[in-house]
Amino acid sequence: MKLVGKHINKDHSGYVSIRPEDDEDMWHLYNLIQEGDNVRAPAIRRVQNVSATGSSESHRVRTTLTLTVSRVEFSPSTAPTGAEASSSSTTPLEPTASLQVTGRVAAENSHVKLGAFHTLDIEANRDVRIEKLEWDSIALERIEEASIPGRGAEVGAIVCGEGTAAFCLLSQHMTVVRQRIAVPVPRKRTGSATAHERGLSRFYDTLYQTFLRHIPYSSPSLRAIVIASPGWVRDAVFDHIMAEATRTGNRALLGARPKFVRVHINSPHVHSLVEVLKSPEIVSQLKETKFAREGIMLDKFFKMLGSDEQRAWYGPDHVSLAVDRGAVGTLLISDELFRASDPQLRKRYVTLVEDVREKRGEVLIFSSMHESGQQLNQITGIAAILNFPLDVEVVEAEEREAKEEAEKKLQESAEGA
Amino acid sequence: MGQQELDISGLNLESKSGPTVADELPKVSLAREKLLEEARRALESEEGGRKSASLVIIGHVDAGKSTLIGRLLYELGRVDEKTKIANERASDKIGKGSFSWAWELDGTTEERERGITMDVALQALETPNRRITILDAPGHRDFIPNMISGATQADCALLVVDSSTGEFEAGFERGGQTREHLILVRSLGVSQVVVAVNKLDQVDWSRDRYEDVCEQLKAFLVQSGFHPSRTSFVPVGAMAGVNLLDRSGSDVLALRAWYSGPTLVNLLDTLQPPTRDIDAPLRFPIFNVFKGSASATGVSGRICGGIVQVGERLRILPGDETAVVKSIESESEAEPLPWAAAGSNVTLYLIAVDPIHLSIGSVLCSPSNLIPLASVFTARIIVFDIEVPILAGTSVELFHQSRNVPASISKLTAILDRASGGVTKNNPRVLTKGASAEVQITIRPVAFSGPASRAQPIPIEPFASNKDMGRILIRRGGETISAGIVLTVVS
Repeated sequence: MKLVGKHINKDHSGYVSIRPEDDEDMWHLYNLIQEGDNVRAPAIRRVQNVSATGSSESHRVRTTLTLTVSRVEFSPSTAPTGAEASSSSTTPLEPTASLQVTGRVAAENSHVKLGAFHTLDIEANRDVRIEKLEWDSIALERIEEASIPGRGAEVGAIVCGEGTAAFCLLSQHMTVVRQRIAVPVPRKRTGSATAHERGLSRFYDTLYQTFLRHIPYSSPSLRAIVIASPGWVRDAVFDHIMAEATRTGNRALLGARPKFVRVHINSPHVHSLVEVLKSPEIVSQLKETKFAREGIMLDKFFKMLGSDEQRAWYGPDHVSLAVDRGAVGTLLISDELFRASDPQLRKRYVTLVEDVREKRGEVLIFSSMHESGQQLNQITGIAAILNFPLDVEVVEAEEREAKEEAEKKLQESAEGA
Repeated sequence: MGQQELDISGLNLESKSGPTVADELPKVSLAREKLLEEARRALESEEGGRKSASLVIIGHVDAGKSTLIGRLLYELGRVDEKTKIANERASDKIGKGSFSWAWELDGTTEERERGITMDVALQALETPNRRITILDAPGHRDFIPNMISGATQADCALLVVDSSTGEFEAGFERGGQTREHLILVRSLGVSQVVVAVNKLDQVDWSRDRYEDVCEQLKAFLVQSGFHPSRTSFVPVGAMAGVNLLDRSGSDVLALRAWYSGPTLVNLLDTLQPPTRDIDAPLRFPIFNVFKGSASATGVSGRICGGIVQVGERLRILPGDETAVVKSIESESEAEPLPWAAAGSNVTLYLIAVDPIHLSIGSVLCSPSNLIPLASVFTARIIVFDIEVPILAGTSVELFHQSRNVPASISKLTAILDRASGGVTKNNPRVLTKGASAEVQITIRPVAFSGPASRAQPIPIEPFASNKDMGRILIRRGGETISAGIVLTVVS
């Protein structure tokens, strides 16, 4: 994402112009644009003219529209179709995610009346201007983070079991499942395992073809290719890929050999990606990346919950109580909470984050496009690891007392008056 | 030929070689009531003759499960001399001579090369009074999903433990499969277990060792909910075939000096099969799908309720497809069967269906009485010995019959008292180890967002209506954290 222009007033209102370039930028925009913002972007609008005689003609015009947003929709990349796919192994991926912004036109032009509805399809490499009444620290931080060049480090991952495989691409903020395959592999039967073995070899072939199509193995931005599975499927898969590459003389793939990492996981489902990110092989390679850190901290939180329940809190109410007491060492918060349509609610979370930072706590904003973010979302989307143990029940009792006292005071002052 | 037909045939619309077209659909031979009567009569007559039971072989990795069964099959004359010698030669060749008995069951190349069972092998054997279907489960922890899928089809369990020094302890301590497997089969409704204390030859048939192992296991079995009267112990040496069928031979004098109890086959001969629910609606969860002879597709599994006969049309769930039963075969019978009832492990050959609609984990039922599909349901669970507690929203893997899907525990409704079942706490914050609780479970969607983000419902039934179809296991990170029963299907 390129930052084209930025103007923010003292009262935090203002605009930012950016040029999205890839899938991840679409995700950033989705998290930036909120209900009530004004968004200006190029659009294609069908304009209908009725002539004096009553005949009507319609044509499409390319124009730039400004909308007051009422709804934003995001859908992650869908698997590319055959023809364009073959080139994807060498060239960087074309953005396939789509972002739609719906709202009423806020600035009239010769084609469109004020107040007309429109849905913008945000396109890659076209400038978008976002106007907000208030740019909070979280939004600005996201712009800053997104516009650092060369952060496109990606990891390709194949999560497989016997007969099933999911091809994923992991980037800073997104896990995209590009393709899933499921090949029926019959189980072994008494006296004959040929059906089983035939099924397996069909599975490996399908897997290899899908791999070529969906994992951009020779792209320099792809840091590692992870093959993860329970049992020994990953070894068989790796051997098969390398054998096929040798057989077909695929130099690019053979050259990517050092990128391959094999990781043991416990189940062949995509949610095992969390396990992948925890494994020592991956941690040493991707230590500084955001998603690796998220995985490690979430794991730490769950472990803490088991070993020292009083230092692991979750849920918005409980966490904000802990923040009030200055106890939070690490705050884990999902970006979904900031997407709240209610500005008050968003503000509450923003202050929560700012409070923790002020007290030298660490804040990790999880992306809900990652498995770790999904798991955090499942437990209300907010959790905290505390610096010192606090008993939930004691704190709640304190709060109640304070509230009662305040009420009493209020009553007294009312009686006094 | 009329003008109309000519026109249509001119278009070549009909497929040239449709095998399904050529097939005559077999007719249903009996009305349901009559069939039930016949089945009941057959079951009664079984009382006198050979009763059938299914037995899952469990135990820690390398305890000698496959070797024991391989040897047992040979002793009972189920493996001929030729195969035995072929296995011996071939296993010697790759330097794994000690695995030759297991090769009878570990059929795939990979299993043989690694010397490890990876998937369940199905075999049948006969003792004087029993007809037993053997499910040889893998012991390695990565293949527990396969083991569960085998254990859901069993009535009884045979636990094999390695008694050699250090090995028993490795399998029995926390994280060992001896423990986990026992808990798993108990949770899946198996209440009878035979414990074969194996590899006693390696400790010179020491009586002390045998008794020590038995004591430790007895305590654990009682704790896991096995009744002492339904558990039995037997010392064996699987590799040499000692005390399987008999204990003749001079090398086992040491054993005969102190052991005079039953042999393994004696014990297997007294297994009590549970009562079969043949009046219930048909439920046939698919364990394996393979290409049968001609146009038929074979599906194997265990009938979890009801009765099925040749010619019946069955519905495949989930999905909208149906299939017709062409023939029914069983591992323990030479002849094809006209019908099969609850509790039997059979292979159904289906026609009039594209094999693509048949997948492992689907359930076959009669079209008039379908199993419900659920993506959200409530369950009563027991939490095992876990380190990280369960929160509302915990991501888990849900195991049900041969299927395993990602799910999450979406709501913790109440903690229950283990003994009385009464509610002790509503809406708990966490579930810790040993808790018994009522929870809501939601199947997770396969994609994070977008059109595929709807969860695929799975066929599942409340425990009250079908016991086998109402049992679930919950695992997380390669560890079984909980087991339970389905209470109600929410949606």
